[in-house]
Parts: sequence; C-alpha cells; structure tokens
Amino acid sequence: MEFFLQQTVNGLTLGSVYALIALGYTMVYGVLKFLNFAHGEVYMFGAFAGYGVLTVLGGPSALVVPVWLAITLMFVAAMTVATGIGVGLERFAYRPLRRASRLAPLISAIGASFFLQAAALLLFTANSRSYDAPTLIPIESGVTVGPIDIWAVRILVIITAVILMILLTLWVNRSRAGKAVRAVSFDTEAAAMMGVDVDRVIVITFIIGSALAGVGGVMVGLVFGRIFHLMGFIAGLKAFTAAVVGGIGSIPGAMLGGLLIGFAEAYTTSYISSTFQNLIVFGLLIVFLLVRPHGFLGRPDLAKV
Amino acid sequence: MLALSLVVAACGDDTGGGDTTTTAGATDTTQDATPTTEGDVTTTEGAQPVDTCEATVGFIGPVTGPVAFIGEVQLNWFNYALDTFNEQSGYDFQMVEGDNQFDTAQSATLAQQFLDNADMVAAVGPAGSDQVDAAGAVYEAGDPNFTFISPSSTRSGITAQYTGMFRTVPTDDDQGPTTADFLLAEGAQNVFIIDDQSSYSVGLADSVEDNLGAADVTVNRESVSQDVTDFSALVGTIPDEADFVYLPWQVAANGQIFANQMAEQGKEAVIFGSDGMDSEDFTQAGSYIAAFAPDIAAIEGSQTVLEGYLEQYEETNTFGPPVYAAAMVIFEAIDRVCQTGQTPDRANVQAEVRNTDQAESILGSPISFTEDGDLAEGRFFIFQIQEDGSKTLVQ
Amino acid sequence: MSQIGVDRWVEESESRQQQYSGWTAPARRAFDKVRPGWRLALFLGLAALYPLLVSPSGVRIGITVLILAMLALGLNIVVGWAGLLDLGYVAFYGFGAYFYAIVSSDQLPAHWPTWVAIPVVVAATALLGALLSLPSRRLVGDYLAIMTLFFAQVFVEVVRNFSRLPGEPTDITGGPNGITGVDPWTVFGFSFNTFNRNFYLLLGLLGLLIVGLYRLNDSRTGRAWRALREDTLAAEHMTTPVNRLKMLAFAVGAAIAGLSGTIFAAVQVGVFPNNFMLVFLITVYAALILGGLGSIPGVVVGAIAVAFTPEILRNPGAAGWLFYIGLLTLLLVTLRKRPMVAAVVAGVVAFGYLLRAASLAIWGDTILGVPNDTFTGGFLDGWLLILGEHQDMASNYAFVLAIVGVLGVILTRGWWRVVALIPTIYLAVFVWENKLALQPSITRQLLFGGVLMVMMAVRPQGLLGTRRVEIT
Repeated sequence: MEFFLQQTVNGLTLGSVYALIALGYTMVYGVLKFLNFAHGEVYMFGAFAGYGVLTVLGGPSALVVPVWLAITLMFVAAMTVATGIGVGLERFAYRPLRRASRLAPLISAIGASFFLQAAALLLFTANSRSYDAPTLIPIESGVTVGPIDIWAVRILVIITAVILMILLTLWVNRSRAGKAVRAVSFDTEAAAMMGVDVDRVIVITFIIGSALAGVGGVMVGLVFGRIFHLMGFIAGLKAFTAAVVGGIGSIPGAMLGGLLIGFAEAYTTSYISSTFQNLIVFGLLIVFLLVRPHGFLGRPDLAKV
Repeated sequence: MLALSLVVAACGDDTGGGDTTTTAGATDTTQDATPTTEGDVTTTEGAQPVDTCEATVGFIGPVTGPVAFIGEVQLNWFNYALDTFNEQSGYDFQMVEGDNQFDTAQSATLAQQFLDNADMVAAVGPAGSDQVDAAGAVYEAGDPNFTFISPSSTRSGITAQYTGMFRTVPTDDDQGPTTADFLLAEGAQNVFIIDDQSSYSVGLADSVEDNLGAADVTVNRESVSQDVTDFSALVGTIPDEADFVYLPWQVAANGQIFANQMAEQGKEAVIFGSDGMDSEDFTQAGSYIAAFAPDIAAIEGSQTVLEGYLEQYEETNTFGPPVYAAAMVIFEAIDRVCQTGQTPDRANVQAEVRNTDQAESILGSPISFTEDGDLAEGRFFIFQIQEDGSKTLVQ
Repeated sequence: MSQIGVDRWVEESESRQQQYSGWTAPARRAFDKVRPGWRLALFLGLAALYPLLVSPSGVRIGITVLILAMLALGLNIVVGWAGLLDLGYVAFYGFGAYFYAIVSSDQLPAHWPTWVAIPVVVAATALLGALLSLPSRRLVGDYLAIMTLFFAQVFVEVVRNFSRLPGEPTDITGGPNGITGVDPWTVFGFSFNTFNRNFYLLLGLLGLLIVGLYRLNDSRTGRAWRALREDTLAAEHMTTPVNRLKMLAFAVGAAIAGLSGTIFAAVQVGVFPNNFMLVFLITVYAALILGGLGSIPGVVVGAIAVAFTPEILRNPGAAGWLFYIGLLTLLLVTLRKRPMVAAVVAGVVAFGYLLRAASLAIWGDTILGVPNDTFTGGFLDGWLLILGEHQDMASNYAFVLAIVGVLGVILTRGWWRVVALIPTIYLAVFVWENKLALQPSITRQLLFGGVLMVMMAVRPQGLLGTRRVEIT
C-alpha cells in the first residue's frame, strides 16, 4: 500500500508538470492548428531563468531573501523570459507562415528549436545546472500522509499546478479574452468576421502557453534538479503526446493527458519495468488512442465534403 | 540560399570542409612541415630554438548534442594542452576541431576528413566506444598508421581491432572486477544495479553483475534510459534489504537526482558510482565512486596544470584530464620525431607514440602502452565522498 | 478537352509557365522546355562528376546526401503524395539497416549473398510498413502522427535492449554496441566496398527510383493518392479504396527506406542504435519540406541543401562567409534601397568607433583582446571592439541584446527601423567575432537553425514546391 501511495504521489508530480507544458501545446494548436515544436525550448529557458534568479539571490545555501520569496521571484522571472521567447517565436518564426501549408511552420519550429538549443549552449555552457532544492527546502520538510512522507517541494509543485489550471479554466470560460480564444480556436474565419482581433488572440495564447511552460520549467528544476540545454526536447515530446492523447485542442484534455502520462510512467516503471518504460507508457496510450481515436476529450472534426 | 551555400562551398575548400585549421586566436594557415636540420638538440624543453617542426592534430568529440557537457570539457582541455605545449616548446602545432554530436555516422565522416588532411598526423577522440568502432573502421581501411587516442572509451577489446588506436583510460576489464571486489569486501549481500543503456554502462554493469553473482550476492538489475530525469518510481522499487546501489552512469547529474530521490523515500542503500559519476555534479555524502586517476588536485605537478585550466575555462569534470594526457602523448611523440631530424608523418609519429614512456602525467601515474594500445599501468581508485563534497581515497 | 486521356492540368501547364516573372524567368522557361528525362540525365551526369572533384571525405558526404535524398523521396510518397503524417519513418530505415546487418555479418553468424539479402530486407520492410498502416484506418492527422512517433521510439528502444525483453531472447541486435563488420553489397563478384563505388551505386539506384516515382505519380495510383490527400472523405465517396491506398503508400515508403538502410549499413560497415533517433527524422523532414513537399526534384534539392549545409558550416571560414553574406542580404532585403544600405553600414561603423572610444575612455586599454584572423582581414580592426578578459560575459549580454534588437527591427517601420538596425547589426557582428567564431561547433547548430527559420519564412512552399492553399 505504501508503495502504491508513493508511486501515486510520484505520478501526480510528474503529471502536473507534463500537464502544464501540454497546455501550451494544446492552446497553440487550438488557435493556430499547428504544433509548436519549439515549446520545449521555451520551457527550458524558463528553467534557466529561474536558475539565474536563484544565483543572483545568493544561491541555494546563502539566500538573501526568504525561501518563499525566492521561489516566487523565480516563477515570475521564468514566466517573463518564457513569454518573451514565446512571443518572439510567434512574431518571427510563425506569423510569416500563417497562410502556408501545415508543415511549413513545423520546419520553422524545428529550426527555432535548434537555434534556441544552440543559444542555450552558448549562454549557459553544456554543464547541467542544479537548483539544489534539498538545500533550499530540506527533504525532511513536508507532510506525512499515512505511511509515506511527501517532500514539501512536491506538494508545492502539485498545488501550484492545480491552482494554475483552475485559474486557466476560469479565465478561458469566464473572461472576454478567454471567450475570444475559444472563438478563434473553434472557427478562425468566423471569429474574425465577428470582430475578434485574431492576431491579438494568438499573441495572448502564446503568452499564456509560454508562461505556463516557464512555470513548468522551474518546477522541474525544483523537484528533479537537473537543468540542461536539451531538457526541452524530451519533455516536449512527452507533453506533445499528452496533449494529443487528451484530445488536441482541448484544454481539459491536455490536463488529463498530462496526468495520465505521469501516472502511467510512475506505475509502469515501478510495477513492470524501467527498461522499457517509454515503450510501455506509449504503448498504453496508443492502445487507448485506438479505442478513442480523437483523444480523451477531443472533438471529432466534422468533415464536410 | 542554396546558391549561397554553393558559392560558399566553391569559395571555401573544394573538400567537404574541415581542412582549414584554427586555434583560438592563432593564424589560419598550415604549412608543410620542413625537415629540421639541427644536429644535436638538447632535450630540455624551452631550450630549443623555434624550429620548423610542424604538425596538425585533430580532435573529435561530442561538443554539441546529448552529451555536450563531456565534449565541451574535452575540447577545452585539448585546446589548453595545445596552447600549453606550444608555449613551452616554441612550436606552433595546429588543431582541427570536429564535432561528432556523439553520433557514429558523423564520426566516420570526420575520420575520413582527417585522413584526407595530409598535414594531420594524429587525433584525439572519439569519445564513445561505438563511435570508435565507426571511426576506427574508416582509419583502418584508409591508413592504419593514423594514430587516434580515445580519452574516454572503455570497452574492453577494441584497441586490438584497430591498429592506430590507443587510449589513456583503463578499461572495463579493470573497473568491473575492482568494483565488485570492493563491494564484496564491504560485505555486500544485496546489490541493486542500474545501467543507463549506453554501451559503457551495460558493459560495466554486466561485468559487476557477473562478478557479484559468482560470489552468491543477490543482484537486482534494472536499466533506465539517459533521457529519463525522474527516478522516483524506480527508486521506489529498491528493496529495503539492498546494501548498495551500483550506478555505472555517464551523466553524474542524473546520479545526484537519483540520490536525492533515494533520500526522499528513505532508502538507505549506499550508492557506488563508476568513473562517469566522478564529477562535481554528484556530491552525495557517503557514496563511493571509482576513478581512474587519484584526485588530481592533490597531485603536485597536476595542481598547477589544473589551476591554469580553471583560470581560463572555469569548470571541469572527470572527462577532461585524460584528454590532456592523450594530447600531450601525441605532442611529445611529434616532438621526439622532430628531434631525430625527421619530418613528422603518420608512421613515425605512431611509432613514437608506441614508445611513450612517461614517468609522470596529469593522471598521477606513468603512461605507457601495451602492444594493443591500452594503458599498461591503469588502475582504478575508489573514493568516498565526504559531507563537504571532498573525496577521500579509500582504495 | 482537346486530347482524350490527357489531364487538363497537364495540358494547361504551358499557360502556367508563361507566368514566370523576375530575372530567373528565361532560365526557368528554358529549363521547363527540357523534358524530365533529359533533366534527370543532366542531373545524374553532373552528379557523376562529383567524386572526381572532391576528396574521399567529400565523397562520403556525397553518400550521406544521396541516402538522405532517397529517404526524403520515400517520405515524400507518404507525406507529400498521400498526405499522411508519418513520424515513424526513421524506424523503417533502421529496420532495413539492422535486418541487413544481422544477415550480413558475424552477428548470427550469417553472410547471405546480396542478391538474397536485399530483396528479403526490402520486402520485410514493406510488410512492416503495411502493418503500421493498419492503425491509419482509425486514426487521422495528428493522432496518426503520434502513433507513428511511438513506433519510432519503440524501434530504438527494442533494438538497444533486445536481450532484455521478456523471455530473454538471444542478442541479435548487439544492444547498445550495435553490429560491426557488415558486408558490403556484392553483385556478380563485384564488391561495393569503396566510397566511390557506393556513391555510384547510390546514384544509379536514385536514378531508377526517380524514374519509377515519376511514373508512379502519373499513374492511377498517384492520382488516387492526390485525391486521398486533398479530401479523404470525398475520395472515399468516389469509391477510391482509401485504406488500401494508405497501406500502399506506407509500404512503398517503407520499402525505399529499407533499401536506403541497407546501403547505410554497408557504407558505415556497422549499425548502432543511436543512428536512428528522432533527430535524424527531423533532418529528413527538413529536407523534404525545405525542398518542396510533393515535388521530386524539390526533394532532391532539399536533401542536398540539408545534408551539405551542416558539413560546410563545420569550416569556420565558410560559416563566417555565410554569416556576413546573410547579414548583408538581410540588410538589402529589409531596406530595398542601395543608398540606404550604404548609409546603414556607415552608421554601424560610426557606432562602433564611438562605442570603442567610449569603452577605452572608461576602462582603458586593458579590456582589449587579440582579434581573430578572419577572412574579413583588417576591415573590422579599429571599429569593432574585441574584448580580452570579459569577452564571454559581454558576449552573452550582447547576444541577448542582439535578439531583442532583431525583434525591434521587425516590429518597427521606416526611420525607426533604420535606427533600430544600426545597434542590432553592430551587436550581431560583435557577438560573432567575440564568441561565435571561436566556437564553430555550436555556431554550426545556431546557423543551421537560423537558416531553416529564414528559409521557411522567405519561401514557405519550399525551394521547388508549389504554393498550396489549404481549404479547411
């Protein structure tokens, strides 16, 4: 039982991070109908921005401000940097390709991905950086739920992710801007004809998606502790899978997909095998996709001839 | 843009690139090595006149790509060795940099480019054993006299397959049994081994598993890919009876994450890391690591070298010093060739490399090679990491 | 319709060609007059001269280019003609390579003769492709893409950890160490064991493939694929056997990939799991889309560009050329008027002088470092600030500022744009000379990514592609 609970917590932590990144993918897809492969790099830069702030504030062992303030500042910095890069990407790499075929922005995104990875190598060198979270927030701190101890950082990550997802859902469903985003993702041309400024909506989408990814980056740094220039590639792949499995274009779907993948990873690694971890997780998802070909919460596209 | 690239290709060299040479801040030309005419030349460095001993040495490493932290440090140490040697000897050796991104196909292409470069006599690299296979096949077929010294490939037996191959690190044949013996001596009954699916890791893990199994120790074997960064689930499967966890990993930072997560879940087994974990990224107090060199900061001669390096490049890891050793072996061999009055070429440089007999090196042990090209006197040292991050020699 | 049996589209191609404009128009019209067969012969002839002009490593790169071209052509069938997004293509390539390696080396041991091995491998890969197409009955678009992506990852993981699968099978894939000592192709006693021979072999195969593909494209199957791509539902209603066509597309694409794989294994004399990772798939896609999706000559051109560019960029001198020429070109394109360009360049130099004078005044001579000896010669001396000690830190800040400056340039118009251009260009050159030129390997990646982005922005349909209008 203890084992199962432990793995559940692990899965929840992982899933929250994947969900945050997947949200960025799904929102951009909903609005632009294309997969932003450079999203992983946005997440990576967010993580590095957090690291930069941490260093400026004195490093994990000699902080000049209280820990909670440091972490808040790290989140803010990560969101800012990630948003900047996301908006820059949209403006520079994707806007010129609005009218082109579906695959052209893909290559541009891949080029942007290479560029950003190389930029990270130049700016930060190839050495992994670490937040050294156990020094920031000792491993002993946390709550004890039944037979297991949960580290405070994991709680922080899970709670922050949940809060952000709730805020996002409220925003998308209640606010005007959220309505505009929903309108544009449903039918871009009709929304434009109704007076929605599509360009602005797209920029807003990128801002929100990138900010979430930035937060995800800092969270990964806190929980897992290793930041390096290629971290965006793998995480991006998994988040992309999460977004698709949950139904691409659907925000609740992305959240669900992320959690699903997190749990799947935790359980398969522990109960089955860690060697073929990726395989089994993806295999499960594929089987699942075959059962529900449009993802969990995806909308089947009505095809008209 | 296509036209641009064609123009560039035409204006550049008509070979596929990689022919021009560069050192950081030095000149961009190579000249043919002309024979030296000095008769008795003294052997102390610095006392030689700046003569016309010239050569080009290559470097292949994963400067970008998945293990860029290895390649970057290797390249920096290579450049440092080059600058140091040029400064001390008054020569002006040139280098050519080749980034193989840890990929075998690019290693083969680079190997061929190096062979095509008539001025190049030897190279350092590639780093990984499978890249050595790819590049070695090219060297062997093209020019077995071309010397290449790998500073980090540890798979046993490959030096025998390629004539020109040498290496400045001991092999898995040494590390595996050394590790297993140590674990047995420490009274291990239950060991959990996790490899990271690279050829380096699997070889070591297999070796240790076999040795431990022969002594009736319970061994659990798992494997995890290098791009996994969350090991919580795997950590959860470590049995409470496990005494040791053996991690023959290339990425030390992952090892630290693993250690943190073990602490989080209250696992008390002690981690034993292979030489890939010998890095500032892994500082779990109480853990052991194997290393192929004693702490070079503690060796007098090496200390100055290390300080000079850190002044310029700031960060280093365990993959660096063998590159320095390898580069120096090549440079000294070329130097010896020049002193006999010959022009350095691949054959005589290789002969001199085989004759290498350095009493001291940055790695703290003498360097000489067996017939195949392995280090004659390599051995592994075992350290324990202390609370403050420093290492103390245990064996 | 004046001719029975001739597609109206084909018939009207003449009138479409008249619409070429610009300074390349006469060349393009003349080129179009040459029949495709002769164009192919011309290309093959020129390519055949290539090994005679370059060094062995150049031939090796040529082999890489040709393999990439073959792969891109195969992928073109699946993605360009049939419209199915296949992200698992690299697994077919790997399967072909591994299968060939297993039967042509000491792994089993088995040394099958080439005339047995090749057809078996190609057929097996085609079968695998057909199998993989089965989910495409249920999954469309991005969902199919995920499925195929999964397959690509499965392949690498299985091959790398084969001996650890449940049931502990014997190790036939060599695990992470791969398989070495693979036999070359041997036909009638003639062994393709040198780079030159393999190059010509590939060239011959490529030629045959291109001819075959042209015929396929013009055939009923090709037209059916086009229908499938444009509107699957409509095609289905018109009784096009959609599922069978998808299977055929996958199978043919896979077969071509398998064939390329065998040659790859033969040339590298070995196969390793890391050869078939997703990064390579990205390269094939880049070649395909950069060249122009759906167009056979486009795909070949794209493969040449994508495979050659990183190799050329290894050479720091060439990378420098690309950078400076690219900078000037961007300047020309942004400003359009020659006098403006000269003015901006003068402005940059002046800015440089000012900055240098100011820096020297504040910090003195000590901050200066040794200038690189680049092909630009002394042109940069005097106004470009090359730093010594704080080079790294200053370059990092300058890099970030330069990116911000580029955004500023894009967002502004008119005179403001000129004003934004001057410091941006100065910063770009500063970063280049102080940091990028000293790290050729990382710069190679940077430039390659930048080239991809710029090329797609400038010509979204690819070099030789046709503009498509997506009707959603």
